[in-house]
Amino acid sequence: MRMVKPVCGDLLLIGLVMVTGCAEPGAVLTIYSPHGRDHLVLFEDRFETLHPDVNVQWVDMGSQEVFDRVRSERANPQADVWFGGPEVFFARAAAEGLLEPYRPVWADSVLPAARGPDDLYFGVYLTPAVITFNSDAVSRDQAPQDWDDVLDPRWRGQVLIRDPLASGTMHMIFGTIMYRGLQATGDTAAGYEWLRRLDAQTKEYVLNPAILYQKLVRREGLLTLWDLPDVLHVQDRGFPLDYVLPKSGTPVLVDGIAVIKGAEQPELARAFVDYVGSVEGQLLAARRAFRNLTRTDIPADSLPEWLIQVTSKLKPMNLDWDLLESHGREWMRYWDAHIRGRGQR
Amino acid sequence: MLNRTRLLTAIVFALLLWAVVYPNLVVIGESVRGDGTVTVRHYAEFFGTPSELRALWSSAWISVATVLLSALIGVPLAFLFARYEFPGRRALGALAAMPVLLPPLVGVIAILFLYGESGIATRLVQVALGLNSPPWRLRGPGAILAVHAYSMYVYFYLFTLAGLARLDLAVLEAAASLGAGRLRTLTRVTLPLLTPALAGASLLTFMTSMASFSAPYVLGGGFRVMTTQIFNSKLQGETAMAMVETVMLAAVSLLVLWPLARWEGSRQYVAPGKGMAPLRVPLRSRWASVGVPSLAGLGVLLLVLPHLTLLLVSFVPDGTWTTQTLPPRYSLENYVELFAEARTFRPIVNSLLMASAATFIAVAIALAVGHLVVRRRVAGRRLLEGTLALPWALPGTVLAIALATTFSVDRPWTGRVVLVGTAWILVMAYVLRVLPLTGRAALAGFRQLDPSLEEAAASLGAGPWRTLRRITLPGLTPAIVAGASLAFVTGLGEFVASIVLYTHRTRPIAIEILSQLRDFDLGAAAAYGVLLMVLVAAAFMLGQRWIQAGKQAAD
Repeated sequence: MRMVKPVCGDLLLIGLVMVTGCAEPGAVLTIYSPHGRDHLVLFEDRFETLHPDVNVQWVDMGSQEVFDRVRSERANPQADVWFGGPEVFFARAAAEGLLEPYRPVWADSVLPAARGPDDLYFGVYLTPAVITFNSDAVSRDQAPQDWDDVLDPRWRGQVLIRDPLASGTMHMIFGTIMYRGLQATGDTAAGYEWLRRLDAQTKEYVLNPAILYQKLVRREGLLTLWDLPDVLHVQDRGFPLDYVLPKSGTPVLVDGIAVIKGAEQPELARAFVDYVGSVEGQLLAARRAFRNLTRTDIPADSLPEWLIQVTSKLKPMNLDWDLLESHGREWMRYWDAHIRGRGQR
Repeated sequence: MLNRTRLLTAIVFALLLWAVVYPNLVVIGESVRGDGTVTVRHYAEFFGTPSELRALWSSAWISVATVLLSALIGVPLAFLFARYEFPGRRALGALAAMPVLLPPLVGVIAILFLYGESGIATRLVQVALGLNSPPWRLRGPGAILAVHAYSMYVYFYLFTLAGLARLDLAVLEAAASLGAGRLRTLTRVTLPLLTPALAGASLLTFMTSMASFSAPYVLGGGFRVMTTQIFNSKLQGETAMAMVETVMLAAVSLLVLWPLARWEGSRQYVAPGKGMAPLRVPLRSRWASVGVPSLAGLGVLLLVLPHLTLLLVSFVPDGTWTTQTLPPRYSLENYVELFAEARTFRPIVNSLLMASAATFIAVAIALAVGHLVVRRRVAGRRLLEGTLALPWALPGTVLAIALATTFSVDRPWTGRVVLVGTAWILVMAYVLRVLPLTGRAALAGFRQLDPSLEEAAASLGAGPWRTLRRITLPGLTPAIVAGASLAFVTGLGEFVASIVLYTHRTRPIAIEILSQLRDFDLGAAAAYGVLLMVLVAAAFMLGQRWIQAGKQAAD
C-alpha cells in the first residue's frame, strides 16, 4: 500500500498535465454554440477538410449559457466564434461590447433583417415557431391549424409546454401572443387572457426539451408549441412527431453568428463565419440539419424538398422585437406570478 | 511540535479562506451592489415577496424531511448488513449503495421511464389494478422527497457502516454482561458511539438536499424551492436577486450547520483500544433465515430498478419505443455507435483524472483539518470545521460562476491567476464540491479513533510521521474510504459546476451525456450512462479491496 500511493499520485499528475497542456496539432478554433452535436460535428468535419491545419473545437450549451460564458470571460476570452442563438442575445452582447465587428463576404446576400447593427453580428438561419403534435395519435387534418385552435376544449389537458422562463423559443411565442393582443386592443389584458386560457389547457410545464419530446412520443400529452428545426430533427430520428405552420402566421426567430471580441484566432473565426453563410455552408445546414436560411440568392432547385414546402406555406408574423426586448421580462414575470398553474384543475 | 501545529493551522486556514470563503464573499458583494453604491434594496424586495419566503420555507422543510426519511432507510439497512449473516449478504450489501452510481440527468430520465405517468412500473400497476388513469403522478413535494430519500440515504448507509466497523465487540459484551438488554445496549451504547457518523450523515444530507436542483426542477411542478428560484432569477437576468437568494439559502444552511456541528462535537465517546469488530450473527429462526434475505433482496431490487431501466433503454434502437409498456425491439446499435467514435473516450479519461485529483486533494485537506480540530484542538476549530462544510451552502452554479469570475484575471498579488480554460479550475471546483464529504468522513473517523493508541505509539518512540502512517491512517481507513469513494463518484458525475467551467479539451462525462440528450439521443445517453456506472462500480470495488488490504497490513 505504501508503494502504491505515491505512484498513483505521480501518474495522476502526468495525466492532468496532459489534459491541460498537451497541445494538439494545428491552430485551434473554438466555437460556442447551442446547435447540438449533430449539427456541430457536420460543420467541424467540413471546415477541417477545407482547412487541414485547423482543429475545430466546439462547446455546445444553451444560448443563455453561451451568453453567460462570453460575458464572464470578457477579460480573457476563451472562444473565437459564437455560433447560434436568438438575435436578442446577440443584440445584448453587442450593446455590452462583447462582439468584434466583421462584415462577411456574403453580407449583402442575406435578408435585411439578418444584418446586425455596425456589422457586429449577422443572421444565418431562420427559426419559425410551429404547432407540434404526436402524429400517431392525431392526424394532420385534426391537428390545430392556428394558434387559437390550440384553445379548443378538445385539447384540454393535452397540451405540454416547455417552461417559457427557460426557453428562448417559448419566450418568443408568448411575446408574439402579447404583441398580437396589444395590436388588436392596445392593452396587455388581451394577451394575458389568451395565456390564461392556454394555461387551463396545459397539462404540464416541462423543463427540458428531451423530456418534452419523451412525454410527447409516449402520449402523456399530444400537443405542444415548439420550433421547426428541432421538430424535424426528432422526426428524422424516427419518432412520431409532426407540425403545422399556423395559418394566421408565425413568429420567425433570426439565429445569429458573431466573432467574439478578443478572440485568439480572429482570422480563422472570420473564415468560419464566411463558411457558415456561404452557399455550401447554407445548403449543408438546410439538407442535413433542417435549417431555414437567411440567404435569398440560393437557387430554389438546390434546396431540399421540405424547405421548399415550408417556404411556400410560411407566413412570417410581424413582431416588434424592440418592444419584446424592453417588455418581455415584465410580461414573463407577470405570467409567472399570476397565470402559471392557475387554470389547472 | 507546537510551532508545527501553528504552521499547519495557518496554511490550512489560508487555503480555505482563499478557496472557500473568497467565492462566498464575491457572492455577498454582488448581492448588495447597486449602481456604484452599496444597497439593501434587493434584500427588502426579497423579504417583501411572499413567494420567495414560501420557497425558502419549502427548501428548509423538504431538507429536514429528507434527513429523517434517509436515516429511516439507511441506518436499519446498515445494521442489517453489518450485524447479520445470511445468504447473499455480500452481494446485496454492495448493491445497496447503488443509488450513488446513478449518473445525473440520465438518472432522472430513467426514473421518469420507470415511475413517470407512462412509465413501466406505473403502467404495470395501472393494468394490475384495472385503473383508468395512472395510479400516481410523479410530481410535487412528495415526488421530490421520494427521489431525495432514494439518492441520499446512501450517506447514512455508508457512514453507519463505517461507524459500525469501528465499534468494539468488547464494549457490547460488557454491556450485555452488565445485564443490559438489546434495546438498552442499542440506545445507551451503540447509538451514542455512532453519533459522529450519524451527525455527519445528517449534515451532508441536509446540505445536499438544500442545494439539490435537478429533482425540484424536473419534478416540482408548481412547487418552488430556493434553488429553482435562483435559476429563474438568473434566467430573467436579475443577477442581484439571484445573489440575494443564494445568500439566504446559504444563511439557512449555516443556521442548521452550527447546532449539528455542536451536537457532533459534544459527543466525544471513543471506543477504547482497537479490539475486534462484532462478529456477524447468523439468523437463527427459520422465519428469519428465509424472510430477511428475501426482504433484503426485494428492497435492493427496488433500489436498482432505475439502473435496470437505464440498461434497458441503452438497448433500445432510436425511435422504436413510444407507447408500449416495454420496448418492442432491442439491439446493440447504441453501444456499437459509442465504441466506434474516438470522441467517446476523451471525456471518460478527463473525468477519471479530474475526479481522482480532486479526491486526493480533498482527502489531504480533510485529514489536516481533522487532525487539527480533533487531536490538536486548535483555537478557532469550530470555524475551521464550519468552513469545511461551507462549499455545500453555495449552489454549484453560483460557486462555478464565482470561480470563473475570480480566476479569469492574472493578478497574482491579489491571489487571482488565470485558471479559466484549464483542467485545474474544474479540479478546484470538484475539490470544493467534495470537501464537505471527505471532511465529514475524516472528522467522524478521528472522533471515533482512540487517541491513546497514538499516545502509546509516541511513548514507544515512534515519530509523528511514523505514528501517522502506521497507527492513525490505518485506523481511519474505513471512514476515509467511505468519504473518498463518495467524493470520487460525485466528481465523476459532477454536472452543475462543470457546465460553467468546461472547455472542449476538459469535457467531463456528464457534459457528454447532456450533449446526447440535447439531440434527443436517449439510447446513446443511456449507453454512456451505463458505461459510467460500470466505471464507478469498479472504483467502489477497488476501494473495498483497499480497505481489506489496509486491515491486513494493520493486523
